[in-house]
Amino acid sequence: MTECPECAASVGSVDKVLGEVFPCPDCGTELEVQAVDPFAVQPAPKEAEDWGE
Amino acid sequence: MSNGFRLGLFTTIVRPEEKAILAAAEARGLAVERLDDGEVTFGLDRPTTLPDVVLNRSVSHTRALYAALAYAHYGVPTVNAPEVVELAGDKVRTSLRLAERGIPTPRTVVALSPEAALRAVEQIGYPAVLKPAVGSWGRLMAKVDDADAAEQIIEHKGALGSPVHSVFYVQEFVPKPDRDLRVFVVGGEVVAAMYRRSSAWRTNAARGASAEEAPITPELAALALRAAEAVGGGVLAVDLMESPRGLVVHEVNPTPEFKTLAGATGADIAGKIVDYAIGVGRR
Repeated sequence: MTECPECAASVGSVDKVLGEVFPCPDCGTELEVQAVDPFAVQPAPKEAEDWGE
Repeated sequence: MSNGFRLGLFTTIVRPEEKAILAAAEARGLAVERLDDGEVTFGLDRPTTLPDVVLNRSVSHTRALYAALAYAHYGVPTVNAPEVVELAGDKVRTSLRLAERGIPTPRTVVALSPEAALRAVEQIGYPAVLKPAVGSWGRLMAKVDDADAAEQIIEHKGALGSPVHSVFYVQEFVPKPDRDLRVFVVGGEVVAAMYRRSSAWRTNAARGASAEEAPITPELAALALRAAEAVGGGVLAVDLMESPRGLVVHEVNPTPEFKTLAGATGADIAGKIVDYAIGVGRR
């Protein structure tokens, strides 16, 4: 478990992999897994102009 | 089973698609080297340890292209190849190539200044669609219904200030049913197809379009394979519309998402991609 950097809600690490992007269950902020052990998250990178498929 | 074979997975972020790829690699006993596109550096000399193949899943066209060029320089094959990323990641280049190969595609006019862009829209006629040449998910696309709207959109694009928005890619608005088609191609094989349905004019899954499996008719498969081959082949999602004059290809995506498609069809797309990458790495 760790805390959402935006709203301090508890964020679980179950089934998460390094680099995974997921929404905070409380505030919806997109978070990115920064480290798996110990579990750490940071706000996900902002979408840039050249992003796409 | 890996026999020392290493798959490099080059990513910006890890989405359900990349998780599925990691799971497929693990199921095949492959060693995976994670390569974060915001972390890696590329020197001119070949590093001593390199993966056997790099699966390029960067969502940034710029990063994907330069990484593919660097790995090619080191002699490491990438999926997709740099030429494919360069071509299919740019709508202007893609349209030119599709036209060169006689593949039906919407009428398109490219302009390089705001003044010429207005003339390009007039040449296409109303309604017209303006799209950024690079980037997708339906962002910064505009449907223009008249000259006033065209002037305003072109002015706004100019105000964005980046070189990407100084290229004006203008396309006819194709009167289609409330759906388009996405066909997923891996190597020379069509692995799945879906309808993307939306009451809005943009049918990108990223914009909330719903999905259902589409039959892979011989006509659809042949056209999708021709389009994929035209940009150099590999792992590609070909987007098509059902226009009054038949199927037209409007995009060929070199770093395609497939969560929605896999969910709608049950196809093991991640497994197909990993198997294809292994094949490329062992050539």
